[in-house]
Amino acid sequence: MKRGGLPRMIVTRLMQLPLILLAIYTITFMLVWIIPGNPLEKPEGRRPPAEIVDAMQARYNLDDPVVFYGDYLSGVTGLDWVLGDRDGPIIDFGPSLRHENWTVNEILAAQLPVSILLGLSAVALACLIGIGAGVLGAVRPGSLLDLGSLLLALVGISLPAFVIGTVLLVVFAVHLGWFPVGGWGEPGHVVLPALALSLPFAAYIARLTRSGMLEELQSDHVRTARAKGMPEYTVVLKHALKNALLPVLSYLGPATAAAMTGSFVVEKVFAVPGVGTHFVDAVLGKDITLILAVVLVYSAMLVLLNLCVDVLYRWIDPRIEPSGTPA
Amino acid sequence: MDGVMLRLLLPALLFLSTMLVVARCDDHGDRSDLVIVGGGEVFTLDPQRMSYLRDMRMGGALYEGLVRLDLDNGGFKPAAAWKWDVSGDGLTWVFHLRPESRWSDGSPVTAHDFAWSWLRLLAPDTAADYSNLFFMIKGSRAFWDWRQEQLEEASGGGEGIDGPALWTEAEEHFRETVGIDVLDDYMLRLQLEHPVPWLLDLLAFAPASPVHRPTVEGWPMEEVRTDVGWHQLDPPPWSSRRFVDFNAKTGRLQQDHRWARPGRLVGNGPYILDAWRYKRDMRLKRSPTWRDPDGVRNNTITTLAIEDPNTAVLAYESGSVDWINGVNVDYRADLVEMARSGKRDDVHIVPAFATDFFSFNCRPELPGGDLNPFADALVRRAFARSVDRSVIVDNVTRLHEPAISTLIPPGSIPGYVSPTGLQHDPARAREDLSEAGWLDRDGDGKLESVDGTPFPVVSLLYTTNTPRYKRIALALREQWERVLGVEVELVGRDTKFYKNDLREGDFMIARGAWYGDFGDPTTFLELCRSTDGNNDRGFVDERVDQALDAAAMERDPQARMSMLSELERYLFEEQVPMIPICQIVDVHMYDPTRIEGITHHPRQVQSLWNIRRTDHQEAMVQATAP
Repeated sequence: MKRGGLPRMIVTRLMQLPLILLAIYTITFMLVWIIPGNPLEKPEGRRPPAEIVDAMQARYNLDDPVVFYGDYLSGVTGLDWVLGDRDGPIIDFGPSLRHENWTVNEILAAQLPVSILLGLSAVALACLIGIGAGVLGAVRPGSLLDLGSLLLALVGISLPAFVIGTVLLVVFAVHLGWFPVGGWGEPGHVVLPALALSLPFAAYIARLTRSGMLEELQSDHVRTARAKGMPEYTVVLKHALKNALLPVLSYLGPATAAAMTGSFVVEKVFAVPGVGTHFVDAVLGKDITLILAVVLVYSAMLVLLNLCVDVLYRWIDPRIEPSGTPA
Repeated sequence: MDGVMLRLLLPALLFLSTMLVVARCDDHGDRSDLVIVGGGEVFTLDPQRMSYLRDMRMGGALYEGLVRLDLDNGGFKPAAAWKWDVSGDGLTWVFHLRPESRWSDGSPVTAHDFAWSWLRLLAPDTAADYSNLFFMIKGSRAFWDWRQEQLEEASGGGEGIDGPALWTEAEEHFRETVGIDVLDDYMLRLQLEHPVPWLLDLLAFAPASPVHRPTVEGWPMEEVRTDVGWHQLDPPPWSSRRFVDFNAKTGRLQQDHRWARPGRLVGNGPYILDAWRYKRDMRLKRSPTWRDPDGVRNNTITTLAIEDPNTAVLAYESGSVDWINGVNVDYRADLVEMARSGKRDDVHIVPAFATDFFSFNCRPELPGGDLNPFADALVRRAFARSVDRSVIVDNVTRLHEPAISTLIPPGSIPGYVSPTGLQHDPARAREDLSEAGWLDRDGDGKLESVDGTPFPVVSLLYTTNTPRYKRIALALREQWERVLGVEVELVGRDTKFYKNDLREGDFMIARGAWYGDFGDPTTFLELCRSTDGNNDRGFVDERVDQALDAAAMERDPQARMSMLSELERYLFEEQVPMIPICQIVDVHMYDPTRIEGITHHPRQVQSLWNIRRTDHQEAMVQATAP
């Protein structure tokens, strides 16, 4: 292992971040700008006179892409704040164009933690279910347990979230009354959406664990451990599982990112006020400031998450060469 | 081996059981007296900016206009004004305000509040959707134009715009020229351009509600006194008013809407805003300064923003929601069927003051320069006569909406007699089309004009956000192809693209809908005025414009109604700029044995303070007991 490889990798990656974000900002901005329609126009209702439409466009810089691009950039980078506009927050994503009562900062502050909490709960749940089912399946291949874990994987991967979600709601919320139907704010609100969101991930993790375990259980060091007369659970949990989990770990990075960003359907079905649903609404309504903010924040999160996963790899298995390090 | 499994499962079981226990122990004690789901996220709580029904419902709870609709008996009830006088010619109205009315911060509600709020309503700076409804107030349209011109001149000047100075000048101009006068703190005079039979209707409308100037402008707290009205205070300099400033480019007054937040919003209605979380919920609680505490029959109301219609119904079934205002699930028609057959008493079908229709493009040419067959009223009549509405409402939408062939839902306006409109008549339809010159001249089964031009493929534009309009469009295509032998092509588009096409006249036939705003035929018929901003059809007919003007000047209410009735007959039996399909219905869900006070007013106005849960009454009495 090269000395200093890890800190250097981290610094390089962090320095790349602003450039990546600038490129993403520019491309997203161009794409969003060419969507037809006027975000200030209400989907239903009366049409305001043309001069009012023009004045409103001018107010939000919608009449000039160059000014909009520059203005938004200086707000987001904190340049405005540095240059003395101390009324707003340091990083200012501006007002939402579709919801004049809210700033984008307020919207993100309210919704991002929800999506993150939901995503993390789902990943935690997916690990518990997936690793549990995978190990059980591998310990007794071909048994009913194994079949059960296979079935779980099949259901989790093939059933769309809105079906799983609705079934969970009907059974656990309406009939059994264990959980509230929708909303957010109480611990009970997390369980069903997290479960619905976790199933596809759990299914994949179960398959990864099972195949990893099967391989490990046949390996020499496990045979040695057994020969030494170690109790079976020590063999399974300590010797086999540790190695079998490496592929799961590498899957967790993208899975966490996907769970935090891709909960659109689950959020909608369970009326969870996360970013997903409203990001889709923002795109449909051409809420430019909100779209850009969500894209930027999520891009930054993705870059950092990938960095975390790479660092974790290095920590677990120093033989792995991190990407992004000059050879 | 069993031990191993136990250890593996233990953490998972622990995790799940902890969550279950936590969930089971949830304290639902703070559930509101009434929980509503309806209509999506509230757009604004600034009454002058409102145009959505759901916003106006909240507006009615947070603010109080001069008068209010009497939902039980029809007509109007005194509200912020306890009485009013009308001059003999109907042009001058004097409103007497209640001296005991208070804003929720304790300060008195005065005539100045109304005058200032209506300045907001009538100034182009606010970009209020409903300004033009109030243009019958003397001088208000002229004021609007004057302000627009003033701003345009100033921004054309090149040098920096002095926004505050222009606005001060505008305020002065408004006071001098517009017929809104403060006679004293509790007397307000309104002068009109012409008699307006529906004036009280407009004054009961949420955009005419007063707002509290120090709150809306964000005056520094230390300068606001609650023992006197703000008109007795010196307004602070513009720079220290937190929520207003002037646009550097246009000179317009700009509003920051963060005044409309819990803890800040000051209203004069029965409720105050207790909580508002973006796309989650909004909670209202009883206002401590409301003048009629006994008239408010619940303490708190929560409106949940549940976007998925199916989840809303499940939440209702689980008991966590009391009332769904606008059920929108795919199986809505089945719910309606159950209600009609008496299997469910909690599904309510409420006809709205609204019409679903299909618009013809009446412009002489289509955007590509192609000849537009629908510029000819005969062709439009032929298409209208081919439509069998009963098939659509009974078999396609299956909601059994009242099928109508006029724009104004018949029977919805007292004293107005609807014309018949064009009924389903395939034979007459074919005659109309041949009279217009479209015949199958060469026997190929297709229609041609005199010079042999084939009838163009009719493009039928609809929106794809709900399946409803696709289904109706499919039915229309089938009917037109069968009856008239034309070829119809369906064009389904997302709302954004659809609106764009409408504006640019890039369609032949397009779906449309209109919700009436006040109880007068003109709220629908003005749509056919050639200069109307919502005249998507490009329909221009001088006779219609003149008839609308003449009706506006008519002093005799009965004569006026018959003039409008004749106009609607002319429009929908001769000109047919659009084909009315049906009156729109809304489906509500609430248990009538548990909830009382919900009214079925066609404009969906509700007195939220009048609604209570009967099974909840005991708990409420305990909660309010000292």
